[in-house]
Amino acid sequence: MYPKIIKEHFADPKNVGKIKNPTNIGSFTTPTGAKAIFYFLIENNVVKDIKYQIAGCPFAIAVCSILSEYAKGKSIDGLKKITMSSLEQFFKIPQEKEDCINMSLNAFLNGLEMTK
Amino acid sequence: MKVYLDNAASTRVDKRVVDAMIPFFTEKYAVPSSQFAHAYGIEAKDAVDGARTLISKKLGGKFPEEIIFTSGGTESNNLAAIGVAFANAEKGKHLITMQTEHNSVLNPFKRLEKEGFEVTYLPVDKDGIVNIDTLRKSIRDDTTLVSIQYGNHETGTVQNIKDIAKVVKEKGALFHTDAAIAWPYLPIDAYKWGIDLITLSPHKFHGPKGIGILFVKKGTKIEKIMNGGYNEFNLRPGTENVPAIIGAKKAIEIFSQKDVAYIASLKKRLLNDIKTNIKDIEINGSMEHSSPHILNLTFKYVEGEAVSLRLDFEGIAVITGSACYSRNLQASYILMAMGREHEQAHGSIRFSLSKYNTEEEIDYTVQKTEEVIKSLRELSPLGKEDRE
Repeated sequence: MYPKIIKEHFADPKNVGKIKNPTNIGSFTTPTGAKAIFYFLIENNVVKDIKYQIAGCPFAIAVCSILSEYAKGKSIDGLKKITMSSLEQFFKIPQEKEDCINMSLNAFLNGLEMTK
Repeated sequence: MKVYLDNAASTRVDKRVVDAMIPFFTEKYAVPSSQFAHAYGIEAKDAVDGARTLISKKLGGKFPEEIIFTSGGTESNNLAAIGVAFANAEKGKHLITMQTEHNSVLNPFKRLEKEGFEVTYLPVDKDGIVNIDTLRKSIRDDTTLVSIQYGNHETGTVQNIKDIAKVVKEKGALFHTDAAIAWPYLPIDAYKWGIDLITLSPHKFHGPKGIGILFVKKGTKIEKIMNGGYNEFNLRPGTENVPAIIGAKKAIEIFSQKDVAYIASLKKRLLNDIKTNIKDIEINGSMEHSSPHILNLTFKYVEGEAVSLRLDFEGIAVITGSACYSRNLQASYILMAMGREHEQAHGSIRFSLSKYNTEEEIDYTVQKTEEVIKSLRELSPLGKEDRE
């Protein structure tokens, strides 16, 4: 039921926590009680550091971890173009987990758009 | 360590049950309806009748033919709701049930609404208990059936079905209870308490899957809902599942109240130790009126599926009422009916115990739950102000 990459990131999520002086923060809350917050340190359009906090299901947690690893060192212009379907390069998205994954992705994208 | 704490879903079949069943696959494989054709049929008929006699007695029934074998609890609930509603439609078309019933009760009632019946879904309080005065006031002259679950499958909350049956009988309606979770962990006495129909599910107490029981008190007006032969006193067509019937009988025969006391002590140990070691938890359901084997807790600030998967990594099997986990992406309707917020359902975990669990397993579960909750709360942005 859980793809290998989801299980691995869920068991040991990377880049967890807060950044002391973030340049950008983005969050997203679902009506069912889940919440994700991303903290970014962006310099010259490049993600220097990224961390997150999340109360969500294994998919939501793993997607935060995957996105945080992927984003480090990358230009925010490219990162802003990430969609649900671009996540398919990492794993096949189960239909019933779309809302959970969307929450993590939206928190991430909101952070790229919204400076602190 | 492997710890199975999902016994409200299904239990391990007792070896003695399996042993009792095996001859009915390999040696005594005839069906009871062949009783007038050959000796094999008579043997099967006698075995099934023996099961009926024992089960009827255990339920406080008077006649073996009050026991109808079905395919499971779901079919028993369907037969009770739809069979009684249609058979009594001339008297009235109003039915009563409860918002926290199992789907196998709620969905037949929803179907009956489409067929022109009117259904009252009684609310419950914060512990999941239905108010008997509200029930009394809801029963009308045209009410034919009241169906109230004995023990809830998610929270373990137990209804006072003895008093409920009394009220229903005073008002002249029929009373069905879905006792799939509660019995035989808790007592029942069909005639003394005035219960007309009882649903049982043997795989919930170390019997086989694929067999359900519906007790139907003699004289109860009910009609079949499937079309076929004349099996089960012309109420439930289809070849009798003789091995499973014998397995159900054995599971009931060997069920011990000593085991119930033991399971209750494990539940107490689990709750007390979790309470001592983990902050910010809430109990979902009544502690005073509760099945001895079910404990439902909300761990604040975390999500239930994450908790259950992390516990699974440690070999511990539990389930959650979180929306993320449910196939319809809705938070547990049971917890919502009890007035819980989405956030509370989000972090809910059901632990359900059996006689096969040990104190060591409970201690291991508490230790691992503490670790998992601590780790997931470190990830969580929720409740930080309270905790930091």
